[in-house]
Amino acid sequence: MEDNGDGHKMQVNNLTMYYGDFKALDDVSLDFASRHITALIGPSGCGKSTLVRCLNRMNDLIDGSKVEGEISLDGENILGPGYDVISLRRRVGMVFQRPNPFPKSIYENVAYGPRLVGIKNKEKLDSIVEDSLKRAALWDEVKKILDRSGQSLSGGQQQRLCIARVIAVQPEVILFDEPCSAIDPISTQKIEDLMAELKKNFTMVIVTHNMQQAARVSDYTAFMLVEEQGQPGRIVEFGDTNTMFTNPSDKRTENYITGRFG
Amino acid sequence: MDARKTDRIATVIFWAIGILALGILAFIVIEIFVRGLMTAINPSFFAGKPEALQPGGGIGPMIVSTIYLAFLTMLIALPISIGAAIYMSEFAHEGRFTRFIRFCLDSLGTVPSIVFAIFGMTLFLFYLDWRTCLLAGALTMALLNLPVLLRSTEEALRLVPVTYREASMSLGASRWTTVRKVVMPTAMPGIITGTILPLGRIMGESAVVIFTVGVFVRSIPLSPFDPAAPLAGYIWYVQSEAIVPDYRTIVNGGAAVLLILLFLINFGARRLSAYYSKRKSLGG
Amino acid sequence: MSRERYIKMLLMACASLSFLAILLIFLFIFKESLPAITRVGIPNLFSTAWNPDKGQFGMLSFLVGTLLTTLGGLLLGAPLGVGTAVFLDQVAPPRMANAIRRGVELLAGIPSVVIGWFGLIILVPFIARVTNSAGYGIAAASVVLAVMVLPTITALSAETLRSLPIELKEASVAMGATRWQTIRKVLLPAGREGILVAVILGMGRAIGETMAVQMVVGNSSQLTLNPFQPTGTLTSNLVTNMGEAVGNFRSALFAQALVLLILSMILIVSIRLVTRSKER
Repeated sequence: MEDNGDGHKMQVNNLTMYYGDFKALDDVSLDFASRHITALIGPSGCGKSTLVRCLNRMNDLIDGSKVEGEISLDGENILGPGYDVISLRRRVGMVFQRPNPFPKSIYENVAYGPRLVGIKNKEKLDSIVEDSLKRAALWDEVKKILDRSGQSLSGGQQQRLCIARVIAVQPEVILFDEPCSAIDPISTQKIEDLMAELKKNFTMVIVTHNMQQAARVSDYTAFMLVEEQGQPGRIVEFGDTNTMFTNPSDKRTENYITGRFG
Repeated sequence: MDARKTDRIATVIFWAIGILALGILAFIVIEIFVRGLMTAINPSFFAGKPEALQPGGGIGPMIVSTIYLAFLTMLIALPISIGAAIYMSEFAHEGRFTRFIRFCLDSLGTVPSIVFAIFGMTLFLFYLDWRTCLLAGALTMALLNLPVLLRSTEEALRLVPVTYREASMSLGASRWTTVRKVVMPTAMPGIITGTILPLGRIMGESAVVIFTVGVFVRSIPLSPFDPAAPLAGYIWYVQSEAIVPDYRTIVNGGAAVLLILLFLINFGARRLSAYYSKRKSLGG
Repeated sequence: MSRERYIKMLLMACASLSFLAILLIFLFIFKESLPAITRVGIPNLFSTAWNPDKGQFGMLSFLVGTLLTTLGGLLLGAPLGVGTAVFLDQVAPPRMANAIRRGVELLAGIPSVVIGWFGLIILVPFIARVTNSAGYGIAAASVVLAVMVLPTITALSAETLRSLPIELKEASVAMGATRWQTIRKVLLPAGREGILVAVILGMGRAIGETMAVQMVVGNSSQLTLNPFQPTGTLTSNLVTNMGEAVGNFRSALFAQALVLLILSMILIVSIRLVTRSKER
């Protein structure tokens, strides 16, 4: 897989994370290549979601959470004091496990982000909404019903709406936290196809417990584990996806992968 | 078998209790309406001017006072209670401060209304040297209803799914923007429904109005600094002074009017919450 | 970002208003009652002699009146309230339950003066006829209070019962218990704490209830245990006299208000104690 020339968009260095007294991640280091898809796989509870939520500092919202180490975006440490978290979240967007459109119209859902940054001009908003919905492969299905509530769509459509919503903010990185686990298989397929398209413009990180998905979609994969219950999550192996799935270096990776494919 | 027999007796007793509860309500309402409904719906009564000494007085200014006072009270109490509820629900961490505030609110909620009344009287009429007026009553009533309003607003806020807040913040919105653009609009129906019942309480409150607003006026109050005579206080005044020869008629009629007013509010509140939950289930 | 800070402080100020309010109320009432406490003296204030013209401001008869009417109201209202709650939750068919729920809500909305007036024109003459007395007194006040605390106790008890896990009832029924046995042996004990809180809150309402009581209790300063004789309560005395009282008289009335405040505080604390001990 050739490097697109932009290097690493985000880098995690020696990240340790606590929820109160509980250590959730231990000394995690990882790179996210620009305009490529990196997948995080591993069994339930291994800390993949926790790691990904550190990347846009959503864990800040949880009382008692604490981070040590460094996470850099374009070379700048986002954990540094005084770093503008709000603008971070505009540059690093997130799609959640369960689709969570606002109880507003489809149009307003997508327009929410642009409005936040002060865009008021109706034409500009219209074009952003259309563009975002097109890129989320949802435009044709909703272009006549933009006024209807976002929550009246099917599950798969709602998730694509959430993707459109994120795209409208024009982020540089998009984080997907198990985006298809609550979606039917056909919509899942649509979203996976979507991701291949989006890769051209965005750096993407996807957390998934579906290994076929990781193998199909991603360029790089990181495998995470907890030794036993109560232990923090760690990275076991990280590398090019093809290599990981055909010839993993670590025995534990091999066990996990063959256990599923088996 | 003995247990079965006891069960049957118990069932009878419970039914009797249930019917008794309804019966009490029915008895009170019927008695008041029998005596006062005719007077209540008579326009020269509910729109007429009161008499201090002669029979035939009406309660027009009293009804206006009641509504005016309720409106003024809400104007003062709502922003404060919504602001406080937003703070408690969206900004504060559960800890010593929030527990302390909840304790203060609970305490405020158990203070008898008569104590609020004399507190209001002392503060506004004696210390600030106002005369009895709507504003003094509204400020006192706002304090009285703060715990109830805050609790219902907080309830409504808590019902907003966490995931909406997450989505908003992950798009780069600040907490306040999230509250303003996502949480509040979603919670608004619940907040509004929660204000209807306190509205009824305000209209039925007499101790506070007697001491801070007034018990008799001849004309419709115009400014918040005018004295007024909300209906609940007027009724009490008429029955306790019993100066006018037809005081019983007036009290009966006034009580019936109050009941009608409150039933309307109760009915309206129920309709409103049904309407909102219907809209919600249609994905509105 | 500083705008957000400013807004957060504003909102916190709103929340702090509740502290300010309760503090102010305490301070005011206390300050206004100081003259009575210092000049008239506690022994005088807590005697049974109430002769404002002669400088006697004993509130004991009113305190007893408050306690007795509250007790009476609870004796009548609590069983009725809890019973209605049980009926609602366990016995009544859905439509009946709904009707009763609505009815109790409506009852809660009826103003104090209206219930007091009802007591005055119907209850008092009735008691007078039946007991050959004036009709005013603790009995009348207790009935009126029972009607007023019924909604509170019913609503809270019903909610307690509703929030009990369904498994409790199922386990009992599966063992062949009758409905009454299940209620008596399983549900009521399990809901004990919530029901207790409901009753305590009802008690709080009864203590603080003013207008309805004032209209039927007789407003006399006579300390009596006879439920059919006119007497007074702290709240009724305040309403009757506060309008015209001046000087020491007024201050003595504030002292009574202070006692009311303290009684409410005791209730709050006892509720906290009851709920905290259950959490252990």
